[in-house]
This record gives sequence, C-alpha cells and structure tokens, in this order.
Amino acid sequence: MATTEADQRKKKSDAFQYGTYSAKLTADDHKEMLLQLYLARYFDVRLIKEKKRGRLTGTLYSSHNQEAVLVGSLYGLKPKDWISPIHRDMPAFFMKDIKAGWRNLDRMGMSVQQVCAQVWGRVDSPGRARDNWSHIGSRSKHIIHSTSMLAGTIPAAAGVAYADRLSGGDAVVLTYNGEGSTAQGVFHEAINFAAVHSLPVVTVIENNQWAYGTPTYLEYSQEDFARRADGYGIPGLVADGQNVLDVYDKVLEAVDYARSGKGPSIVECKTFRAYGHGDHDDDRAARYRPKEEVEAGRARDPIAVMKRIMVERGLMTQKEAATYAAEGKSASEVSNEDFPPDVVAYLSEGIEFAINSPLPPAEEGGMWVFREEN
Amino acid sequence: MSPGGPDLEKPMPATIDTTYRDAIHRAIDEEMERNPDVFLIGEDIGRYEGTFKVTKGFWPKYGERRVVDTPIVEPGFTGIAIGAAMTGLRPIVEMMTMSFSILALDQIINHAAKIHYMTGGQAKVPLVVRGPGGAAKQLSAQHSHSLEGWYAHVPGLKVVAPSTVEDAYGMLKSAVWDDNPVIFTENPGLYTLKGSIPDDKDFSVPFGKAQVLREGTDLSLIGYSRMTQVNLATAERLSEEGIDAEVVDVRSLLPLDTDTIFESVRKTHRAVVVYEDWKSGGFGAEIAARIGEECFDDLDAPVGRVGGLNVPMPYARVLELECIPDVENVIAAVRRLV
Repeated sequence: MATTEADQRKKKSDAFQYGTYSAKLTADDHKEMLLQLYLARYFDVRLIKEKKRGRLTGTLYSSHNQEAVLVGSLYGLKPKDWISPIHRDMPAFFMKDIKAGWRNLDRMGMSVQQVCAQVWGRVDSPGRARDNWSHIGSRSKHIIHSTSMLAGTIPAAAGVAYADRLSGGDAVVLTYNGEGSTAQGVFHEAINFAAVHSLPVVTVIENNQWAYGTPTYLEYSQEDFARRADGYGIPGLVADGQNVLDVYDKVLEAVDYARSGKGPSIVECKTFRAYGHGDHDDDRAARYRPKEEVEAGRARDPIAVMKRIMVERGLMTQKEAATYAAEGKSASEVSNEDFPPDVVAYLSEGIEFAINSPLPPAEEGGMWVFREEN
Repeated sequence: MSPGGPDLEKPMPATIDTTYRDAIHRAIDEEMERNPDVFLIGEDIGRYEGTFKVTKGFWPKYGERRVVDTPIVEPGFTGIAIGAAMTGLRPIVEMMTMSFSILALDQIINHAAKIHYMTGGQAKVPLVVRGPGGAAKQLSAQHSHSLEGWYAHVPGLKVVAPSTVEDAYGMLKSAVWDDNPVIFTENPGLYTLKGSIPDDKDFSVPFGKAQVLREGTDLSLIGYSRMTQVNLATAERLSEEGIDAEVVDVRSLLPLDTDTIFESVRKTHRAVVVYEDWKSGGFGAEIAARIGEECFDDLDAPVGRVGGLNVPMPYARVLELECIPDVENVIAAVRRLV
C-alpha cells in the first residue's frame, strides 16, 4: 500500500518524543519554576487585593490556575525569541527571559516596574498609559503587543517570523491564544501562511474551556483542539496545562522543531479558567458555569502539581511542600504568608513604583498620533 | 375628535419609567414575542446575557435557536445573519462593541448594504446591527469608536443613534420592522439614562425625523446620541447667563432630516454641531456642510463644530476625558459665535 500524505503527516507528528527536555532540568530549575508559578499567582491575587483596597481601577484578567502554561512555555525560550501574550498572560511581559535575573534590567523582558506602571495607567508604562492592560509591546524586548481583536496578532507573529528568517535569524515566535479565538478567520489565515512558508511560529492554545461566557462545545467540534493542526499538515501537540514540566516539554519540542526550520506547530495546553473572564465577572461566572465543572477544574492547582512532582523526585520534603500554601486558595482566601517572601518583595517593588509614578499630563492625550511627532 | 386638537376621547397611554438599556431590552422582547422570525445572534448574548446586559433573560425564554451564542467571529456571524435575512428572517445582530463591527465591515458594506441594489430588488436584507458605540469608561483605543459617521457614508444602510429613552425604545421597533439593514448605535454612557416610554407595544419612532428637545432663540445646538444630553446640559448652563439655546436632536443620520435642522438655524441664525466621533471627517462635518450650503444667508456666524479629539482613545481617565466633548467644550465653541 502506497504511503499517503496523511501517513507522512502522522510520521511527522510521531517524530516528537515527550519528556526528553524536562528530564534534563536540574534541582535548581525545578525550584525556579516553582518560584515563578508563585510569582504569576501572586501578581494575580495581589492586583485583585489592590483593587479591593481602592488603590487600583480598571479590569483585571486572571491567569489563576493557568500559570503552568506561562511558566512552562517561557522557561525554554532563548532571549531572542519573540512572544505575543494575550490579556490573560499579563505576567508573561515581565517573566520573559526572567532566568537572566529577576532584577536584571538588561534582560529580554519588561521590568516588573514597567508592567505595574502599565496596570496603573502611569507615565512610566511602556506606552505612557496610552492603552490598557496587555496592550503593550516592545520591539527591543521582542514582545508583540496584544490586541482586543483576539487572534488578531497571529498574523503579526507570522510576519515577525518571516522578517526574522529573511534577515538570517533563527528566533522562534511564540503566540498565545485562548481556545475562544480559534474560530476567527485570521487564526486560519495566519497559521496557514506560517505552514506554507515553514515559519517558526509556535501557537500555544491556552484551552481554559470557557471563552468569556461560551463553552468549548459551541466553539469547535473536535475532542482535542490540537487536531486542527492536521488540516495544515503541521504537528499538533496536547499538553497537561496544569503540569509545568509537561508544558515545558511539549512547547520546547515545538520550539526546537521550529528553530530547525521545519515550521510551525500548535500546542494545546488543557487547563481551566478558575474564575471569571475578568474580575468584573467573578460572581457571575459561578452562575453560568456548572459548579461541579468549576470544582473539578480548580482541583489540580499547578503549584500543588509541581510540589508533588518535586517531593516524588526527592527535591523537596513534605514539610517544605506544606509551607507557602497558596495552592487551592482564591484571592480572598490567600495572604502574603502563603507566598515566598522573595515573590512578595519583588512584586511589591513594582507596585510601589507604579503608585509613585505620575499620571501622564492631560495634554499628552492629543500627541503622538503620527510618527514624526515623537 | 376636534379638528386640530388632541383626541380627548382616546385615553392617554400610560407610561413606564425605565432606562435606556431596559427600553431596548423591552423593544426586542416585545418584537420577539410578536414574530418568531425575529432572532438574536452574537457573542455571549445568551448564557452570559450580553456584556452590557441588554439581552438579559432571553436565552432561557426563547431558547438557543433564537438566541444564538457564536464563536468570536464577527465577519462570520454577520454573514450568517445576512443570509438569514435574505431568506426571510429578521435577525438582530449584537456587536459586543461597535468597535468590533470593524471586523465585519466587508459583510456590512460589501454585502448587506449592496444586495438589494445589486439584485434589482430581488432580495432584501432586513437586518439590525446594534451595540454600544462611543466611549464608555477607560476602554481605550479599540473599544471606544464612534463609527456611525462611517456607516452613514454608505448608501444602502440606515443609521440611527437615539439620544433618549423613548427613542431607544421606539427606534428599535422601527429598526426591526425596516426592510433594510439598520445600524443602531447605543452610546454606553446612555445605558443608565432614566426616562419613560409609552405603555404601548405598537409605539414606534420613525427614521428620518429630527426633533427639537428644547426651544431657544439665540443659537442651535445640534447633535445626536449622548451628545444631545451634553447639549441639553449646556443649554441649561447658557440660560444662566441669558443665552437661550435651542437643542436639535438629529437621532437619525441616514436618512437625515435636514428640514428640522435648517428650520432651527433659520430661526436662531447660529449653529454649533456636537459629535463624539473624531472631529475630522465625523458626521458632524456633514451636518455643518449642509447648513453652510443651504442656510448661508441666514447665518450670523460661521457654523461651529465640537468633535472628539483626533487621536486613538487613550486609557488613563484624565487623557480620555480630554478627548470626549463635554459641556465646557461646547460652551467654548458657543463663545466664539455669540
């Protein structure tokens, strides 16, 4: 029987071997990844507390329970790689290349001060408070801005990859998308373009089961969204989005594949949105989502999963695992004592900086529409 | 009935106190009850009840065949609604914000607005595209567009921007029953506006009729949507210093009732046009041009314009407020004329 194109595509997918990357991680890597999980979680709950205290206004989009997707996908990137986060990935802006030193301002990520100034709408935000939340980017830090029109930046990501290849580079572009954006026409248009041109674009699908108030069965009809990749003739991987090591393995497989010139992939990270679409929606989310589903979705907290792995591997004692018990707690249940002091101190520096940063002068509102006004 | 007077035999319809948001909700509800061809389609309108809660309670009441939650795909669901309208249904499309309708411009302009003309009347598109248009509060550059001027540029569309609770109710009724595609824009700042509507399911407000909401003799403040409310507040302020402003509520951009506008200008001899859209090329520019063309000899001063600042809407509240016309901006424009 002759080999069909489908067989060839399947072979391409089978070429991946899972687990080979995380097997090489050291004890320090494990500890750092756990610390980063805490950091992303703390960013989330601390902002909610700041808002409740009346020190912050604006809408917050929680990455609570989805932190393993961010930490696992960012950990294996090289500094020169690009990312395009979305609204639920706010910590990614300052956690990109954070391995190069949390307080290292020369690293290829934004500082926590800049990101907090952005959240507070202050003059020291990268965009001088021109737009809100995740709508910031940096050419020098290799971060593509996020947009309200979800999936709208995948074409831009493909364009960045295309330009990098033309100039002889070997950077990889990681795009983040909720499963809710995958029905958009541009999602198809951009990935198709990347596949045709073998561009190094890795599309991470943060499949948190809910697009605002719409469940996945009204968004697409496959069991595993990753199978969408079959239609483009590219690899489609499924990762356990609660397990930071599994995300690390799958994303790094796709990143290496892309860097070697073989083309794009889709990595579906199965996770669960623990709370509302935004903080304005937290109460309502409990009404439109079945209680059992929400409880099951919150049951595997990524911090708890990582602790269990570390205990099993002898990298942490049971007693150590019991300290800093942020896992499984909502923003109102958790306190600073549930987080490592380094994490609390680091974010506090960013927040105090932001609060002390001035508001932009009102007359700036009409400035810089055109490039020549810079 | 006595000639020229009200029909004293017919009882006055009772009124219902409500809000702009609930008036729209009620109009949709009554028309869905009246006719099974009317259905809703859009993002998060069913289970979630809409981001601005206009479609609250419709999903359990009418079921998911008539309250269709779609994926995030504005071109797709607008196209589906156009097809349904061409085949006899009366879809009401909700844009989560009118800013997102930019994604569906191809469907709206190339398809909905053109099909009737292109087919020589063989097909019609009784479609309503509605949603919040204009600035809310700190929703910034990609959620704050006032696009009614763009749409009013397109032959084949009807474009309305009601300013009062009664008009929101009555004009939505007209939109549902119109056989043309209608762009129905709701400024998010108006949703909590209080007012009253007639307790009459057959009540409607026709398109193409402007109204004078406040009579005056010294100048005409002309606007639509939330800016009409700004104009009413401005008129109160001006009256404290003895300036008697007339407030003309345009409310229907396409078709446009120039007669009422011109009549007011011929009476007051001065006009300021106020609109939230970017000042440059916004619909207020069209109104000002029409007044200049037709009322030149009646004017005692150039036509004034107050529009939004020509910048993407910024996020920080201080910056945002700088970009949206307010009472002080209108008064400053008035001072240049009187």
